Amino acid sequence: MFWRKRNTSDFRDEIESHLQMETERLREQGLTEDDARAAARRAFGNVTQAQERFYESRRWLWCDHLWQDLRFALRMLSNSPGFTATVVLTLAFGIGASTAIFSAVYTVLLKALPYPQANRLVMVYENVQLPTYQNRRNTPSPGNFSDWSVQNTVFENMAAYTSRSFNVAGNGEPMRLEGELVSAGFFSTLRVNANLGRVFSPEEDRPGNSRVLVIGDALWRGTFASDPHVLGKKIFLDDQTYVIVGVMPPGFHFPDPDDQLWAPLALSPDERINHGSHYLNVFARLKPGATIAQAQTQMNLLARRLTELYPDSNTGVAVAVVPLLEDIAGPVRPALLVLLGAVGLVLLIICANVASLFLARASARYREIAVRVALGAGRGRMMRQLLTESLLLALLGCVLGVLLAHWSLGALKILAATNLPRAEELSLSSPVLLFSLAISLAAGVIFGISPASGANRGNVQDALTSGSRESGVASRLRTRSLLVVLETALGFVVVIGAGLLVRSFLHIEQVRLGFQPEGLLTFRVIPRGEKYSQISERTLFYEQAIEKLRALSGVKAAAAVTFIPLTLAKGRKGFTIEGRPPSGPGQLPMAGYEVVTPEYFQTMRIPLLEGRDFSWSDSPETQPAVIINESMVKRYWPAENPLGKRFHQAGPDDKFPWMTIVGVVADVREFSPTVEAEPVIYFPTAQFTYTNGILRDWVVRTNGDPERIASSVPSAIWSVDKNLPVTRIRTMEEVRSMSLAGQRMNLLLFGLFAGLALVLATIGIYGVLAYSVSLRMREIGIRLALGARRTNVLRLVITQGMRLAAVGILLGLFGSLAFTRLMAGMIYGVSSTDPLTFLAVAALVVVVAVAACYIPARRAMRVDPVEALRYE
Amino acid sequence: MSTREDRERLELLQGTLDLLILRTLIFGSQHGQGIARTIQQTSNEELLVEHGALYPALQRLEERGWISAKWGISSNNRKARFYSLTVAGRKQLGKETSKWKRLAAAIGRILEAQGG
Repeated sequence: MFWRKRNTSDFRDEIESHLQMETERLREQGLTEDDARAAARRAFGNVTQAQERFYESRRWLWCDHLWQDLRFALRMLSNSPGFTATVVLTLAFGIGASTAIFSAVYTVLLKALPYPQANRLVMVYENVQLPTYQNRRNTPSPGNFSDWSVQNTVFENMAAYTSRSFNVAGNGEPMRLEGELVSAGFFSTLRVNANLGRVFSPEEDRPGNSRVLVIGDALWRGTFASDPHVLGKKIFLDDQTYVIVGVMPPGFHFPDPDDQLWAPLALSPDERINHGSHYLNVFARLKPGATIAQAQTQMNLLARRLTELYPDSNTGVAVAVVPLLEDIAGPVRPALLVLLGAVGLVLLIICANVASLFLARASARYREIAVRVALGAGRGRMMRQLLTESLLLALLGCVLGVLLAHWSLGALKILAATNLPRAEELSLSSPVLLFSLAISLAAGVIFGISPASGANRGNVQDALTSGSRESGVASRLRTRSLLVVLETALGFVVVIGAGLLVRSFLHIEQVRLGFQPEGLLTFRVIPRGEKYSQISERTLFYEQAIEKLRALSGVKAAAAVTFIPLTLAKGRKGFTIEGRPPSGPGQLPMAGYEVVTPEYFQTMRIPLLEGRDFSWSDSPETQPAVIINESMVKRYWPAENPLGKRFHQAGPDDKFPWMTIVGVVADVREFSPTVEAEPVIYFPTAQFTYTNGILRDWVVRTNGDPERIASSVPSAIWSVDKNLPVTRIRTMEEVRSMSLAGQRMNLLLFGLFAGLALVLATIGIYGVLAYSVSLRMREIGIRLALGARRTNVLRLVITQGMRLAAVGILLGLFGSLAFTRLMAGMIYGVSSTDPLTFLAVAALVVVVAVAACYIPARRAMRVDPVEALRYE
Repeated sequence: MSTREDRERLELLQGTLDLLILRTLIFGSQHGQGIARTIQQTSNEELLVEHGALYPALQRLEERGWISAKWGISSNNRKARFYSLTVAGRKQLGKETSKWKRLAAAIGRILEAQGG
């Protein structure tokens, strides 16, 4: 029955009839028509209010009100376009930046991985804790993987993979496809099936049976032009024939977004009991009901049993079970959260700024509001009206902000492509949009509530009778000053963060890498396949290719290596030193290793400190030679001349030939500029026969700009073998720069936020001082009239501004101490309480505050006392 | 808004207006002006009914289903909206009346005790 409402005109009629009847009655008592009418109205009271009250009792009223409020708000906002534009734009910046950063946080840290029940997937690592080597996430050996997968009862499935690229020769230029060698359970663990055809059967995960291939959707659509009959087709990879048995669904990738094909890992029976080399990635799916903690406990029990069985290889090796999402997101989590914090601070500053603007405008609107209250507007209604205005502004800011976020996501994707996992998934998905809407509304309430509550508190009588003077001036100035202090404090925190990152980045820039990246070109050529199965064939290829490269004009030297520095790839080996007491289980000395061609050190400009470089005459027939780095000398031969000393690979009981140290080179930052050098053994390529010693990366030292010879590199290689793909042609400077992409992104974003924060704080200080000066015109005039100097007035204003800034800086100081502690993992070579940064930032904020004071102060100085006193 | 020239009258206690309206309607249907008049006269002009407040109250009672309304013609030939008690309204009146009487008696006793 609620919808069968009386309409307003019916109600008006009723009141009209009442007034007429009452008038008539009064006339009968002897009043004149006019008096009777007036008396009837008097007795009735406030007709409009009665109508209003009737109107308000209707159920759908809020809808009408909302519409009214909206129209009114729109009118108010379009009446002051400058104010509206300022507020909407500042809000848009804050909301846009927050949305973009939250999108990254959501995509990387929160969003489920694109596999069914992905939260049940875990990585399983070896947790190695040895005196000589510690790694909580060591890649497992095939032996451990095999034992784990058979003996555990907590996982419903366990699988292993290792990255592998394939050379594809065919018509046109040879290319390299990135792929994975995977064990049989790989796809069923992920619970993803082929879109076309099938995935591997367990029988195909065995040597001799394994020349089958599952390809990615992109490769199928690209190279195979979406051929529906692609199944059963043969494809030549590294001179081997593979049969395509399946095509994965669009968008599927694991573990690497670049992967285009998957082939069986097909561990040999020998390999299945190999506990010594650690090169697999292992992941598993928890059984329904099993928890991470249970899995962790059981796997550690299992690891203890394996330690007893294989003390040589498994001493000190426990297991780490890590949720897959955490494994992927873990490295960037702290930085992302700190960035989110920083952008949140910026948003708060923006709210404070907008609230301040609102307060300034509230002064002007104070009387309007008072008049409306006096005319009978309900206070709740007024509050609603003001909130509607601020929320409308916030929503406009939200729309524009989302647009900004949309654009900045494009930039972020490019900026973060190499250092942010799942960067390709960044998007304005609905949770992100919801977040954006939520922060906008919250911001709208925050900056809308203060002037609205002011209006509510206000005394109607005062506001109407106080003539031209605005009321509530002092309290508003106080509130605005508070807001400015808050802004300065928050801004200080953000700028400190940026300052620390700048200091840290400068530090990293100055780190001596141990080689000279300038003038160096690098690329990747991997000689694999039938014709390179023997080490002698590979060596011949290296020698010939280097000769061709050296013949290019502008090339000084060329060499090849297993992995160039700064690319996060490196193998490790245990070794036994001649004449030392045999090491117990888990005591084996360890070192990283690289395999190199002669002249590698010369090409990289890694100083040879002692002894000699390798030469092409270091061959399988000659005495095994190695070169070691300084760190290795310091660790293992600290007080001896290492030249001529001998050691062999693996443990004391393993029968490996002795190798003689023929040279010592300087340390190189192998992993990243921020990771200290570790002991490294360099092997001459001709003497390192294992296939994992295939040289992949090539380096060319040039006379001038390395880019210039980039185009002639492929033909030089193809003049030796036209079937080998040449990829990743980059300057070493690019490699270096890429290894710092994470730091650079943090720095750039933080710098942006800090700049924004500084500008906003400046505007805030300026606004308050300008307001305060305009209020103190009279006082300043009197001071001047009484003989104060203009410099005194200047000092007066600046002191006022400085006081605000000082309190802000002080508060910011405490805030920073809390905030920068979270940044410990993001900075390098500088403490999170670096006094220099804190001093510099404090000085910067003071300078900015003085600049903000300058204009209002000058205005105050120029006050004409006569004019000021006549004012009012 | 009370007006100055009215001699001092008792303002209605919160919630009593509803009761008075229901009570007035027990003698038959009546329009708003009539209800206001009746309350004022029956109380010997002691009670002040702000006419404007009457209508929202009528509206409220109508919404609760205690009174019903329809347009009709008044004794002096005017179009007016007539209100009459519903069955639920009659019941409500009984409840409210006994409640009010108990309340008045209780307050009376307290005031007597203090006065004595």
